[in-house]
Amino acid sequence: MQRISNIFKKQEPEKPVTKKFVEKKAESGMKEGKPVAEKIRAGHVHESGCTGCLVALADNYEGILKILDRYVDWVYDLTLADTRHIPKMDVALIEGSVCLQDKIAVEEVKKARENSAIVVAIGSCACTGNINRFDRGGQANQPQHESFVPLSDLIDVDVFVPCCPPTPEQLRNAVLMAYLLLKGTDDQKKLAGRYLQPLMNLAKSPFFSKASFNTLMQEVINQGLCMGCGSCAAACPVRAITMEYGKPQGERDLCINCGACFAQCPRGFFDHGLTEQYESIMELIQEVLK
Amino acid sequence: MTKVVEISPTTRHEGHSKLVLKVNEEGIIERGDWLSITSVRGLEKVAYGKNMEQVPKIVSRVCGICPVAHTLAATEAIEASICCEVPRDAHVLRVILQCANRLHSHALHNILTLPDMYLPGTDKKINPFSPEEPVRSVAKRIQRLREIGQTICEIAGGQSIHPNNPRIGGMYMNVSPRAKNKMYDLTKEAIPLAKAQMDFMIAVLRNYQKREWAEVGGKQVPIPKNLGYHNQGYMATDPVYGTTSFAENPSWDAERFMEVRPWDWYMSEVEIDLADASYPVGGTTPVGVKANPRIEACNGVPLYDGQPVEVGPRARLSRFKGFDEKGTIGQQVARQMEYMDDCYAMLSHIDELNTSGKVLADEIPRGDGTCLAWATNEAPRGTDVHFARVRDGKIHDYSMLVPTTWNFPTCSQALAGAPWQLAEVIMRGYDPCVSCATHMIVIDDDKKILAQKLIQ
Amino acid sequence: MVLGNYKTVVSARSTDKEILKGAQDGGIVTTLFAYALDEDIIDGAIVAAPSRSKPWRGHWDIWRAEPRVVTTRQELLASQKTGYNICPMVTPVKDAVRMHGLDRVGVVGVPCQIQGFRKAQLYPIAMRDVPDKLALVLGIFCMEVFPYQSIVQLVEDHLGKKIDSVKKMEVGKGKFTVRTERGETASIPLKDTHKYEQPGCHVCLDYVANLADISSGSVGSPDGWSTVFVRSKKGEQIWNEAMTAGMFETKPMDQVKPGLDIVKKLATEKITKNRKTLDSRATFGVGKGLRNPYLNL
Repeated sequence: MQRISNIFKKQEPEKPVTKKFVEKKAESGMKEGKPVAEKIRAGHVHESGCTGCLVALADNYEGILKILDRYVDWVYDLTLADTRHIPKMDVALIEGSVCLQDKIAVEEVKKARENSAIVVAIGSCACTGNINRFDRGGQANQPQHESFVPLSDLIDVDVFVPCCPPTPEQLRNAVLMAYLLLKGTDDQKKLAGRYLQPLMNLAKSPFFSKASFNTLMQEVINQGLCMGCGSCAAACPVRAITMEYGKPQGERDLCINCGACFAQCPRGFFDHGLTEQYESIMELIQEVLK
Repeated sequence: MTKVVEISPTTRHEGHSKLVLKVNEEGIIERGDWLSITSVRGLEKVAYGKNMEQVPKIVSRVCGICPVAHTLAATEAIEASICCEVPRDAHVLRVILQCANRLHSHALHNILTLPDMYLPGTDKKINPFSPEEPVRSVAKRIQRLREIGQTICEIAGGQSIHPNNPRIGGMYMNVSPRAKNKMYDLTKEAIPLAKAQMDFMIAVLRNYQKREWAEVGGKQVPIPKNLGYHNQGYMATDPVYGTTSFAENPSWDAERFMEVRPWDWYMSEVEIDLADASYPVGGTTPVGVKANPRIEACNGVPLYDGQPVEVGPRARLSRFKGFDEKGTIGQQVARQMEYMDDCYAMLSHIDELNTSGKVLADEIPRGDGTCLAWATNEAPRGTDVHFARVRDGKIHDYSMLVPTTWNFPTCSQALAGAPWQLAEVIMRGYDPCVSCATHMIVIDDDKKILAQKLIQ
Repeated sequence: MVLGNYKTVVSARSTDKEILKGAQDGGIVTTLFAYALDEDIIDGAIVAAPSRSKPWRGHWDIWRAEPRVVTTRQELLASQKTGYNICPMVTPVKDAVRMHGLDRVGVVGVPCQIQGFRKAQLYPIAMRDVPDKLALVLGIFCMEVFPYQSIVQLVEDHLGKKIDSVKKMEVGKGKFTVRTERGETASIPLKDTHKYEQPGCHVCLDYVANLADISSGSVGSPDGWSTVFVRSKKGEQIWNEAMTAGMFETKPMDQVKPGLDIVKKLATEKITKNRKTLDSRATFGVGKGLRNPYLNL
């Protein structure tokens, strides 16, 4: 199985995706609701999480039925399917942190990494640890279960989709872009690669897997980058951030370490060239799910 | 001669669990242990010492399917401990949130149930993701019902998964009149869909009940008429919502509840000596592997009046509506019957909501640490009880008794008498949510048999 | 490219007398929202409104801007002023589509806020149900904004006026000007205001809200008029409908003074200056630099 790093090596340096290209793509292959190539094999691996990420994916409602019809063979998922053992996959969506004291869990994520070309950490438990960062063991019947780490502490993770819960839209975008990256034309691969790049950067970031409100503070406000747009306050899933005189104030007693504030912040990451094409990219996504 | 078979992991439910089953020569289960293999995150222990405002947000993340139940049970247990009364409209919003979550959860469970069932009149099992009719229309209807449920959750609760509008003392915000109307319209749309879905599901379930056999791994396994029967009682605290120790007449009694030590209750080490590689999908655990439920799993066994009880849709229907059908199918039918009650309750509470009413208590006490309070919430899969003691705004004691925990011993009891190939069908009848039951697991509640075996 | 992609650019002014009376310039944003509300294009809008909170001095801080969800023309008109201080417009977007029950939301903001909205659409990491509900995104030209306290210091210290007495604030023609309730005007050169700017503005690479559906600002047009860029398909459609409905009078850009060149000049200046800032940040310390959000993390 080809790892994502190999897929990327073959690609040329990114060029801005031209508008013309995106329009052309929307007209070709997918318009009739048919896939441009064969389906990818994907699955959902559940570790110490709450299945909220999977529910979020299912909250694409009719969209998820279309994705499964056309683009994705759903080959592994204890909650929605019957397969009991992790098979070879193109894309593994892994949810939850890993408990170091739980042998089965550690073996499972290693196996998932071995068997998958692209590993996507979905949700904050997998990306940043989330509430599991607070765990300290001591509870029956496994009081020794005390150390929970995000995925990237144990295995290479290719793409992060943080937030607690992640949104149906972001999960859908990540899955569709992963599909294009693996099965699309060269141009489609470029678009998908560029779209996924910031989410891959998050996965490789030296600080993001330790995120909390402090990350927003340290990497945006302290760095002189904050311009008070309020994206972080809107993003925060626990209402821990309010805007006080135009700047974010984080109630650290409420923060659950999900990293959504930093990830949603336009000064967290921002790609001008890609965002300029928001219209055609959103049309493309609508088109492929028609 | 008794043999041991293990199904690990079990599928089509939330979380990680496995079944260790002792079966006789005919493959009929004599005794079943069902245990979680989800890591224990210890969220109750996490709560100790934390700010009371944060704890509902943390324990909500125990489960992404019924986060509303945990948020509300936690919030109300803490409110009961600090003796804080929430404004009427905050309560109304919470009930709406509760109903909306149940609508989505029951619909989701339909997807998990259907693959065990047959299209009436055929020998074809239902794949809910198949694009073929009539299944596709059902799948779309399920998704629309879920969409309505989740959207109403989002309006009343701020987020559909892990709601962020509830807070200690009420809610952060009331909704606008426009949002209220939107919820009303959505509920009106849900009613005929829910009715159709209920009728469809009941027809499918009754059809299964009439069948002689079910196909499992290429074999025809006989379906016993008493599939999933048990003789335990039922426990429910409200048809829709819940109660708290702060209420005038609490419908649950903490005095009648006890939690017993698990060690004595479970199978000790057993060796798997029956395996079936054709069991879908991927076979059962190979012969020779050892299983040790009492070590691998557990914690306490919750008892009410000294017995394990069943919680969930049938328990609610049984206690409040006189429903009396036993077995897995009875339980599943009860779940479908809740669709309508749920929609009507949602509608009447939306009507009742005053959008200009206040939703946050004027004064929120910080707690003096004297009151170990509790609150129950009738989650989609049963009674969720949270206990809390608060002092100076910090949590001093915290404990959760989640629905699946109550159901573990009861379900284990219900496994006996069925062919082992149908054990998962029985288990799925309980709509298990295993991550919730982080600390609770397995069980065999027949002390006598176990004691005898230990002596042997 | 400093002006972004656009389909047309014109100089325009609202034909609505009531709106023009309270308008900063041509009343473009208010008129578009009023029209969109009337025509059922949006259910409501997020606008900057005077703060309703009372700081310790005991005054209502009317010049402190606060985002608010409005659903009627009346509420819209009550929030017309420009206060040049930070107003976190993205903050209420999730509440707007939830507790406010809006399915189609109009939003307005300065370029960086529009970037926030567009990022929310393209990377809706924590923005469930927001991407498809932004029905009209209006941008405002922006060189920089000030923290509220900066405005207080500029008005009260530099200009010697009580901030409560200010009727209108303006930035234009190289000056920061206030008009008070007693009919006085006072101004200082913009160069003296620079030190009070919000630092985050110095890495911004957008002057004319390149990512909005329609963006507007006073620069380039005569007094009382605004320069309007119509950018997206949706923006074009709504603009054309509003024009047909007679909501605006317009003049071609090449027939007005000072014209598009000044817009281009200012945009180039801002972007060039801020690119330099970004470059210098890379070597800010000794062997250490500051983070650049536009590059890899």
